[in-house]
Amino acid sequence: MTFLIRQTLIYAVPLMIVALAGVFAERSGIINLALEGIMIFGAFIGVVFVNMIQEAGVFDGAKADSNWAALQGFAMLAMLAAAASGALFSLLLSFASVNLRADQTIGGTALNLMAPALVLFFIRIIANQNVLNMAGGDAPSWFMLRKSYFGYGRTDSMGFFGEAFINQTYPATYVCILLFIVLSVILYQTRFGLRLRSCGENPQAADSLGINVYKMRYAGTTISGALAGMGGFVYALTTANCSANGDVAGFGFLALAVMIFGNWKPLNIAGAALLFGLFKCIAASYTSIDINGDGIFMLKELGISSHLYRMLPYVITLVVLAFTSKKSHAPKAEGIPYDKGQR
Amino acid sequence: MKKLFAMLLTMAMVFSLAACSGGSPDPTQGGTSEPPASQGTEESTAPSQAGEENPGAAETDPDKINDNCNSADSTYEIAMITDVGQLKDKSFNECTWNGVKLYAANNNKTYKYYQPANGNEATDEDRYNAYKAAVQGGAKVIVAPGYMQENAMKRSASENPDVSYVFIDGYSLNDDSGNLLTNVAGIAFQEEQCGYLAGYAVVKEGFTKLGFSGGGGGTVPSCCRYGYGYVQGANAAAAEMGVNVEMRYSWEYGSNFSASPELQAMIQGWYTTGTEIVFACGGTMFDSISAAAAATDRYVVGVDVDQSSQSDTVVTSAMKDLIQSVNIALDNFYNGSFDSIGGKSSSFGAKDDAVGLPTASWSMENYSVAEYETLMAGIKDGSVVVDADYESGLNQDWSNLTLTIEA
Repeated sequence: MTFLIRQTLIYAVPLMIVALAGVFAERSGIINLALEGIMIFGAFIGVVFVNMIQEAGVFDGAKADSNWAALQGFAMLAMLAAAASGALFSLLLSFASVNLRADQTIGGTALNLMAPALVLFFIRIIANQNVLNMAGGDAPSWFMLRKSYFGYGRTDSMGFFGEAFINQTYPATYVCILLFIVLSVILYQTRFGLRLRSCGENPQAADSLGINVYKMRYAGTTISGALAGMGGFVYALTTANCSANGDVAGFGFLALAVMIFGNWKPLNIAGAALLFGLFKCIAASYTSIDINGDGIFMLKELGISSHLYRMLPYVITLVVLAFTSKKSHAPKAEGIPYDKGQR
Repeated sequence: MKKLFAMLLTMAMVFSLAACSGGSPDPTQGGTSEPPASQGTEESTAPSQAGEENPGAAETDPDKINDNCNSADSTYEIAMITDVGQLKDKSFNECTWNGVKLYAANNNKTYKYYQPANGNEATDEDRYNAYKAAVQGGAKVIVAPGYMQENAMKRSASENPDVSYVFIDGYSLNDDSGNLLTNVAGIAFQEEQCGYLAGYAVVKEGFTKLGFSGGGGGTVPSCCRYGYGYVQGANAAAAEMGVNVEMRYSWEYGSNFSASPELQAMIQGWYTTGTEIVFACGGTMFDSISAAAAATDRYVVGVDVDQSSQSDTVVTSAMKDLIQSVNIALDNFYNGSFDSIGGKSSSFGAKDDAVGLPTASWSMENYSVAEYETLMAGIKDGSVVVDADYESGLNQDWSNLTLTIEA
């Protein structure tokens, strides 16, 4: 059970934060199809950052002393680097769709095509291979919380709460959850959030009240890029042993689906991401899941083909979408380039 | 410094490219004549057995040899076509490539590697194009690891009888009309023997809950032999000690030998529910499995090369000596005795000292090197027989082992 919770969070959090990235862009009126590409780019920059700092040996002392606070600081810095790169990368999209009034779907698709090619190209230059790993060690030993940090022995149990939410988890996960909450509040409870959302619903009206629509759309997309870049790195850190290979297994597109699934609303998105993460986790490790702790792996005992479990996350998405899509409504002005002259 | 430069270059390029157009590098052109920053992250992973195999050789560290050879007339005599996975997989491809580089550097030959297009989804046509590029690039001998190369190699070898082919993990080939291709040397290993050694060693060490995660989806003969040998070794050791061991055995998420979040989650599930050590049998799958092991404080058995330098979780590795076999094959070619291996399927095993465990770098505490040597001698003189027929043998009733095959 604790394993299921941990693993679900690991899958759900990148989805959640990247879906929120999509919300910020779309609420300001820009369709950000480039989430996948920005994630790939953010993951790459984050891993390059980790790799370079490791080579420079800045945190070797902290690693040797098991100074986990310093190591977590290192992870946060890498997340910041990834967020900054994601924000910069997304400027390409904002420039194309705000200043040049280009078709946003095509701009996003172009970024999606460009990111993996570009990233692979640079990985080949840097590492002379198709994947960029950490310079030494593995992600869990550097960035994961372990019970030994808190004075527990190898076989001691930290109790249900400790095992599920502290042992073997990445604090990056919780930083993302915190960010998710803060940004959701900003989007709904502040003046800035209201203005941003108005630009996605009726930019002409917003403009007539003195709101700079271009600025708002830039802001929305840049926040979106930063979140997606960070999400990309968190994905690489928690599920790919902190390596970048020009691929995030379609998580960017899944995040788009989660966003639509969650009806462009943060709370629904969190729920959708958790649901999806849960089924993804079940699909990968159903043979080891012991739900009620009696030592019997029920899902395995059922004897259902593993292919069925692997289909589950996608089947569930389809089913839920079929039932909820009637009620869903996208921001009204999304995808339409804003033209001052048009009333 | 070089990296910083590459990094700055990254930034510069990203922001000078305005909106669209992303140039993808041509994957068939593995090595260019202008060497980019090739020495980077790999220093720490030098295969430890590289040194002993080349007595009297000038250069023994393959990582010091440039991956991109400079050739005055732009032809490259020794070519290597990579298997699925990447060149620097720290395992199968990389070790074969190190063998090529060592031989070439010590005998002043030119060398180049070719990666078939489309990566893990490469088709026979993609591979054939890589062969074509190699032959056009002046290759006299082509080293190709991986049994999946069969069809492309058959086609290329039929068309180019003057070029010699070394088929690692392979066998002799016939052309379409059934004639033996004498320019193809098939070289295979008795992986079941080193799998046996590894399985025996970990059970003797005291592990009782084992796992095996193999690549290739259960269709790659070498991986199947590793796994079958591992089971036999574990069972034999358990029988001697009078204990019962459990083993989970899976080909899930390994079909293209690459790391994936799903594989990591699955193996982490195994470790969480009791499995103590997993045999990571397949290229970069190691990354996912060692990450899962590091997260749960458990252990890993490496494959093909000594992987102990890559992660603290590695207890030992089931090794086959690719460098040595490439060396033997190329030596035969350049001494004019290619006929002795061409058109045949050679099999290297314990008797050739081509399989084994790295006793110097393993972290065994209860299993001694002397015990290992005894077992090895037993395999060599035939008193310990390791069966290689995995298709009929794996599902037998094991005396001291509970085998759970998970899809």
